[in-house]
Amino acid sequence: MKNSWVLAWKDLTSYFRSWTGVLACFFFLVIAGVFLSLLVISFAHLSMEASRGPADSFQGLGLTRFVFGSFFLNIGTILIFLVPILSMRAFAEERRHQTLELLFTYPFSDFEIVWGKYLGMIFFFQILTLPILFFVWFVHGLGLTLDWGPIAFGFLGFWLLGCAYLSLGLFISSISENQVISAIVTFGCLLIFWILEWVAGVADGSWAHFFAALSPIRHYRDFTFGIFDMSDFVYFCFFNLYFLFLTLRAIETRNWKG
Amino acid sequence: MQVERSALLQDRKNEVMISVQNVSKHFGQIKALDQISFEVKCGEILGFLGPNGAGKTTAMRILTGFFPPTSGKVWIDGREFFKDPRQAKRTIGYLPETLNLYPDMRVREFLKFVAELRQVAGKKRRSHLDEILSRCGLWNVKHRLIGFLSKGYRQRVGLAQALIGDPSVVILDEPTSGLDPKQIIEIRSLIRELGRERTLILSTHILPEVSMVCDRVLIINQGKVVASGTVDELEAGLKEQHQIYVAIGDIGKKEDALNLLHSLEGAEQICITDEKAQEVGFSLIVPKGLDLRPIISRLFVEHQIPLLEIRSARLSLEEIFMKIVVDETRSGAAL
Ligand SMILES: Nc1ncnc2c1ncn2[C@@H]1O[C@H](COP(=O)(O)OP(=O)(O)O)[C@@H](O)[C@H]1O
Ligand SMILES: [Mg+2]
Repeated sequence: MKNSWVLAWKDLTSYFRSWTGVLACFFFLVIAGVFLSLLVISFAHLSMEASRGPADSFQGLGLTRFVFGSFFLNIGTILIFLVPILSMRAFAEERRHQTLELLFTYPFSDFEIVWGKYLGMIFFFQILTLPILFFVWFVHGLGLTLDWGPIAFGFLGFWLLGCAYLSLGLFISSISENQVISAIVTFGCLLIFWILEWVAGVADGSWAHFFAALSPIRHYRDFTFGIFDMSDFVYFCFFNLYFLFLTLRAIETRNWKG
Repeated sequence: MQVERSALLQDRKNEVMISVQNVSKHFGQIKALDQISFEVKCGEILGFLGPNGAGKTTAMRILTGFFPPTSGKVWIDGREFFKDPRQAKRTIGYLPETLNLYPDMRVREFLKFVAELRQVAGKKRRSHLDEILSRCGLWNVKHRLIGFLSKGYRQRVGLAQALIGDPSVVILDEPTSGLDPKQIIEIRSLIRELGRERTLILSTHILPEVSMVCDRVLIINQGKVVASGTVDELEAGLKEQHQIYVAIGDIGKKEDALNLLHSLEGAEQICITDEKAQEVGFSLIVPKGLDLRPIISRLFVEHQIPLLEIRSARLSLEEIFMKIVVDETRSGAAL
């Protein structure tokens, strides 16, 4: 497993050697920051109106739920754009530099390669999400009382959603000729997964259940509400395992000429 | 360390390092390798020679554990390769045919990454890297970005990468392709030097390279080994033959000369190779060890045929290669 760490570390640093990593961080933080500010401002408006008008109309709608619930749900959408950019490099880049052939002849297993690639992306994603904690601390610093439980679950949910999307991206990257194709196809697949939620909304009967069960957003939504449901957690674990398995299969075939 | 290694190699000179038995590799309908078998001794430099598409890269990819063969077995240093690929891969360094490397990494940084992956112990890593950098002539560019290096230097980085972890077998796939003549000379001398301390396999489709660098040659065509031996053995005569060339200065005596040549015992494939003005040239193939030149010249003088030239020509490696490859291809097409 040490090899996976070496690979993961190389990939992590390679995000910062090119502009990809820096730009991804920058845009993610700016957009997330704007979302949060808008939410805090609109919450302030709402609560002011509420205090003027009939008293208890907003009592049930706590700060945490209103601001952070929506915040996590919205930045979940950013992932659809972000993940293709993070994952496109994983295998497609190695293939372009013909270094994948080298990796296959070094003394470790295919699984260690896949795991290393996956960890590398997760590490970067981790770095990307850490400033969210700063945002939370900032809102807390405004003197508002927060409910920490739902925030922690929201954060966990966001992290699980990111990992799941990245595992899908990893798989697409492993079967793509080049980065551009990888990014476009990953984006398309993520979009389809995103749309599943709407499909679940308009379908009826058991189909609605079926699509809802497949939709990552449905499962994520529970987390943003501060609900921890074991089935959501299991769903994300399966999602990851499934795509890691497919990736492993894809690189085991070695069916390219190069 | 170099001295130690050479001494070690001396001890094991006749041991078999690599043994390939009945290995085939199929890609769907294509038989890229068809039942090939060969052995490589410790410390030997073996050349794979063959035209493009012969199966050289496929054979090397199997030897490096890139993919397993469809059937057949490979032993490295007495151990069966695909039973414990991880261990086997440790004994092998590989330079693929096309290699761009990570353009955004620096030379030393990349080699350090490789050293970590190839599990060179942390304590030794520094000195090991320094030694390889200087041996491959990379000392002055060790902090440069690989993307900015010339093709020749990038090839050296590729070679350096194959040496990390001090593998006892190094496999190089067309190491000189795409380089300019000066770079080719440099890389070849580097390869020769490396071959002194380890078992080395290299592939090429360039003939002179084989005679310059290799101890032994394996000629591969259409996935089969069609000939093998030292360069001298191969050159000493395909099927134990050599060629005699005769030129006469009177076209009117052509028939006489032909008849005389046909009357000779042991002469085969007698034919007219060129005719210009009064001159006619003949060639004939004779078994090795039978020199017909004195007899031919005496006969021609007796029959008053003006003899202009008579010489014995060894078939060059090039002719052997062409002959083998063309013969094989022809018989393959006939089947
Ligand atoms: N991954 C692959 N899929 C299908 N055919 C392949 C593959 N790799 C090689 N081949 C075929 O196998 C044959 C041998 O190829 P190769 O080993 O690359 O030859 P060489 O290196 O001697 O030029 C060729 O006919 C080639 O087209
Ligand atoms: Mg080749």
